[in-house]
Amino acid sequence: MSKDEPLVLELIDLLGYENVIIDDISLKVYECDGAEFFKALPDVVVFPDSAEEISKIVKLANTYNKPYIARGAGTGLSGGTLPINAGIMIAMNKMDRILEVDLENRQAVIEPGVVNLMLTQAVQDKGYHYAPDPSSQQACSIGGNIAENSGGPHTLKYGVTTNHILGMEVVLPNGEIIEFGGPIEEDLGYDLRGLMIGSEGTLGIVTKAIVRLTRNPQAYYTMLGVFETIDNATNAVSNIIADGIVPAALEMMDNFVIRAVEAAFSWGLPTDAGAVLIVELDGVEVGMSDEADQIIRILEDHHTREVRTAKDDEDRKKLWTARKHAFGALGLLAPNYITQDGTVPRSQLPKMLQFVGEVSKKYDIPIANVFHAGDGNLHPIVLFDKRDSDQVERVHMVNKEILQACVDVGGTISGEHGIGVEKQEFMPLIFSEEDMDFMVTIRNIFNPKQLCNPKKIFPIDETIGVTP
Amino acid sequence: MQNTNFSKIDGVIPKEVTIPSSVSEIQSFLRHVTKEKLSVIPAGSGSKLSIGNPPPQIDFLLTMKKFNKVVEYIPDDLTITVGSGMLLKDVQKILADNNQLLPTNPPYNNEATVGGIVATNSSGPHRLRYGATRDLILGLRVVQTNGTIIKAGGKVVKNVAGYDINKLYIASYGTLGIITEVSFKLFPKPAVERTMLLNFNQHGHALRTSTEIVKSQLLPVFVSFFSAGIPDTEVLEPCLLIGIDGHPKTVAWQIDQINSIANLNGVVQKEVYQDHKQSQLRSSLCAFPEGNGSNSAVVSRINIKPSNVGNFISSVLDLTSPFSTYVMSHIGNGIVYLILSDFTEEQIGLLANTLTVLRKQAVNIQGNLILEIAPLGLKNLMDVWGEVGQKSQLMTQIKSELDPANVLNPGRFVAGI
Repeated sequence: MSKDEPLVLELIDLLGYENVIIDDISLKVYECDGAEFFKALPDVVVFPDSAEEISKIVKLANTYNKPYIARGAGTGLSGGTLPINAGIMIAMNKMDRILEVDLENRQAVIEPGVVNLMLTQAVQDKGYHYAPDPSSQQACSIGGNIAENSGGPHTLKYGVTTNHILGMEVVLPNGEIIEFGGPIEEDLGYDLRGLMIGSEGTLGIVTKAIVRLTRNPQAYYTMLGVFETIDNATNAVSNIIADGIVPAALEMMDNFVIRAVEAAFSWGLPTDAGAVLIVELDGVEVGMSDEADQIIRILEDHHTREVRTAKDDEDRKKLWTARKHAFGALGLLAPNYITQDGTVPRSQLPKMLQFVGEVSKKYDIPIANVFHAGDGNLHPIVLFDKRDSDQVERVHMVNKEILQACVDVGGTISGEHGIGVEKQEFMPLIFSEEDMDFMVTIRNIFNPKQLCNPKKIFPIDETIGVTP
Repeated sequence: MQNTNFSKIDGVIPKEVTIPSSVSEIQSFLRHVTKEKLSVIPAGSGSKLSIGNPPPQIDFLLTMKKFNKVVEYIPDDLTITVGSGMLLKDVQKILADNNQLLPTNPPYNNEATVGGIVATNSSGPHRLRYGATRDLILGLRVVQTNGTIIKAGGKVVKNVAGYDINKLYIASYGTLGIITEVSFKLFPKPAVERTMLLNFNQHGHALRTSTEIVKSQLLPVFVSFFSAGIPDTEVLEPCLLIGIDGHPKTVAWQIDQINSIANLNGVVQKEVYQDHKQSQLRSSLCAFPEGNGSNSAVVSRINIKPSNVGNFISSVLDLTSPFSTYVMSHIGNGIVYLILSDFTEEQIGLLANTLTVLRKQAVNIQGNLILEIAPLGLKNLMDVWGEVGQKSQLMTQIKSELDPANVLNPGRFVAGI
């Protein structure tokens, strides 16, 4: 798009020259998100600083009939912020203020560009935190978390993003600024806040959020169980849940991931282990070691080689850093990777992990596993080199077979990463035509002209403007 | 408790009661009523039919009580799917056999059906620890007015595929479709359950104690305030009822801690209950006193920020002196139930004025006031819900898209929906 196009001139007029990017080299930064497999360039990137400015941008987009899309930190894993058909990318980075912290009511009012971990850091000295903790929490924005309804390791006990958002201000696709929910638990009428969360930016742009803050637990008990085989570890997980224990987190890493993490962080994980399980309890200190003993007994029943316990808070934090950076560490092992995100009923975990191993062998594509075992939320990380078209084809088959298997055992195709462009062709695995028609009906009420983040989530027939 | 009977809702008698026993019956029924533009009030057991503006007329009352079976229960997955007409207490019984529970303790616990609880997001005091009913639902199956069946969510605890359609139906009060199946996430039954009753001689002391407990690192299941004792007990003063569940050692330690907090805040008497007496006390959290006058009690539910609850209750007690006033509050969640009784027909105007003033006060602090149970005379003087403002347009659009003939619960919900 050239500098003197009327839309660009109007955007510059509205936001100032420094808040509008149109040169090709700078635009390149915005051609993909965490799903770097998919690429598409926006025409223009803008940096608004208020809901009013966003409302005006949206109105301009309507006038010029241009698609537009909001983007937070660009850490999404399903191509949700891919600017299909180009158009205006609305970067939310300047709107990163924590507007109000209200500890008495355990809530905060924030702008969507606030980085997830920054919010926790802002309140942790007072004894609070923001519970949803995706692995990308050092970088991802809460606006993006709202769009994807993000989870994280501790959502096993504390729930996902939708359980922690009380209200929001939204710019609707007609440019109107509106509030859904509020600083209380139950707003009147339909739960439009709930509908917005997880809608992947297709119903409007969140410009402010009222989030819950959670009181820090008095104590943690963090264990690491080491297993010879992935089978033993997954059986232990199913057993813990079936035994009526819901820890704060229950995470698993397989040998592939252990080795990558060790190479990058040297936490001291046994690189010859088949799998490790991180089990964390939190809450009131008294009685916690009894529950830990119960868990250790279950791990032993499943032939754990060794159970280590985090010695202190620093030790615990180090272990979590290693876990949360596993994806980054894997980046060292192959030029490209796609992280699958299917969720299965928890009793089906051992069966599913076996299946993932078989598929990996069948197509000769390496797959690493690091996932939220307690929730049944798998993250098979499919490693490949996209320059090799034969590999790309096999990766596609791997994805398809794994997602189909998740659905076959009663699960779903995405637990927390969203559909975006990555999985839209797989939506019919879980939804009927009627289900999808229904969702499209809802979308069209909010977004009738299809300019707000078009061609996402639902399968589309025409070739999309994506370069794989 | 006054149970709004199927025979009459706000003085209107349903012309017919229909009790479908299969999804296909519901499909053809909804196609028929949509074509003929007939009105339908969906119901479970009817325990919450009083919530809503008076219906102009009722062609059908549809009850889901035959959808009363477990569809799928896999204890090892900690999830269950049940028919929407199943009584919550029957679900709990099955779960208890497997040492599990659905951690909700909503009003009318004994009569309420699962579908009714979902349709109204009816949530009891356990929401302090476990979240509202909204937070426990994994999936729904719904028949739309055009006869198609859609599924929302699924049966796994984490699921972001497509829109979160569950949220559209939760608290939609039967205005968008007929819920036939509900999937819930479950929790292990705690090893030990205890209930503390703390008596005070001043409201302020009870409220302060509650605030201190909620902001501590203790993890009570609920902390509920009663302004004037608990019905069917000897307790007549302001008091707190506190639930502490979990590992025996954890429970014992927390009881000690709560006792210390209460001692510092002027508690007069403290008891810890278990077994039968405990169940009795916990069930008082799910019922409202009926009142003694010729009119049954008016029940309002107010939702404000927790920090505003103390002042709001003081204001309530000032303004409602002409009536018998009973307040129960789940303070940590900002929920206040106000029950007014012993008023005459002539006082209904005064009652409406008082509640309108209280609603304004709630709205001024970003809250709301809903009439849960009220005589027709009162409903004629004030809206059951209050204003939804700017959002009404989107809500109306959703309603007219999903129920174009306006057959489901017409006129009973917010914004004239």
